Amino acid sequence: MTTVNDFIEQFLIAVDFQEPVEVTPDTVLLDLPEWDSLAALGVIVMFDIEYGKTIIGDDLKQSITIQDLYNLLSR
Amino acid sequence: MGLSTLRHVRFAGMASCVPKRVLSNIDDCPPSLQSERARLIRNIGIETRRICPEWQYFSDLAFIAAERLLGDLKWERSEVDALIVISQSPDYLIPSTAIILQDRLGLSNATIAYDVNLGCSAYPFGLHLLGNMISAGSIKKALLLVGDKCATVRDPLFSDAGTATALEFYADAPPMYFDLNSDGAGYKAIMLPVGGHREPYAYYHGIPRRDEHGQMHWPNDLILDGPAVLSFSTQRVPPAVEATAAYAGLKLEDINYFVFHQANRMINDTIRKKLRLTDDRVPSTLKEFGNTSGASIPVTMTARLREAMEAEKKKLLLCGFGIGLSWGTCILDIDGAVFPEMIEA
Repeated sequence: MTTVNDFIEQFLIAVDFQEPVEVTPDTVLLDLPEWDSLAALGVIVMFDIEYGKTIIGDDLKQSITIQDLYNLLSR
Repeated sequence: MGLSTLRHVRFAGMASCVPKRVLSNIDDCPPSLQSERARLIRNIGIETRRICPEWQYFSDLAFIAAERLLGDLKWERSEVDALIVISQSPDYLIPSTAIILQDRLGLSNATIAYDVNLGCSAYPFGLHLLGNMISAGSIKKALLLVGDKCATVRDPLFSDAGTATALEFYADAPPMYFDLNSDGAGYKAIMLPVGGHREPYAYYHGIPRRDEHGQMHWPNDLILDGPAVLSFSTQRVPPAVEATAAYAGLKLEDINYFVFHQANRMINDTIRKKLRLTDDRVPSTLKEFGNTSGASIPVTMTARLREAMEAEKKKLLLCGFGIGLSWGTCILDIDGAVFPEMIEA
């Protein structure tokens, strides 16, 4: 079982932000300055390769916080 | 149709031509976007691209590639029975670019010539189309011209190229295996919405808006739904590759090289990892040549595998995927084919 902290670590690798940023489960994705289409693609790939889970663009649009993304793992 | 086999078709040769003009994804973009571009380049894997000057078109690149290939093959012009062009950047909306090239290349009036409208998935579909005519015995020698003029200074992905491939009838040729698929439900994922009959050009399509970076966007720009294309490519391609290999009675270890359409590094790396393939068997030209649409498979074969294929017989798996949505896989043996080095024009 992946912990939310492990998930955040993977998330930060996947989005490849240029500027360091603090992320908690409650962080709102749209509040992250570099959350963009490239970061979204990185997260889709992360779910596929790291967790063997298929998510689509709509799943991301419906996810408000990091916790919402993490919850997709157990969907 | 899905899976199929073609017999008596020999892959005789291939030539690829790119424009001389090189675009850098870092240097040729506004200073305000350069830091963002560094991150983009890390993820899409494209550092430089090739772009035609205003006076050069896809058909010019394909013409040069075809001239070189015909010369190296020492084929008589009168021997070419069919010339198929697969492109989404024709010279004119009508008539077919292939017919104009029939005359320009000095091929006979008895040549079958027409265009097919496919993009990134084009190459396996083209081999299948001409291969079928040859396999059926109705023609003996044919040329397939694939490519696009799709680069713009603004867009960091696309790059220009024109390629020519020669196929011929050979009774003892090893079989070619195909898996060809279409999913029109995804047609909105990549499209040019304006300029066809459903939405002809009108004056308001010429009015751009400026975004926060000062970049202009026109209503008739290409639409590309990144997440949809990524999901399509990474979900559809790996099972198609495995299914084609199984149909051919092969394990993935039996195949020397896997040449995938060069979409971007995120997509291509994900496909490679899902198939557990090592880098050395999956050549890439993204860094130098970007996404050359339907030409990316031949461009990659020319740039990366030319010497290996001239040295000895190789078994290749080619897989194109993209606009349509459409995806096709082909497994073939290449033995003694003509491979001129990359042409810059």
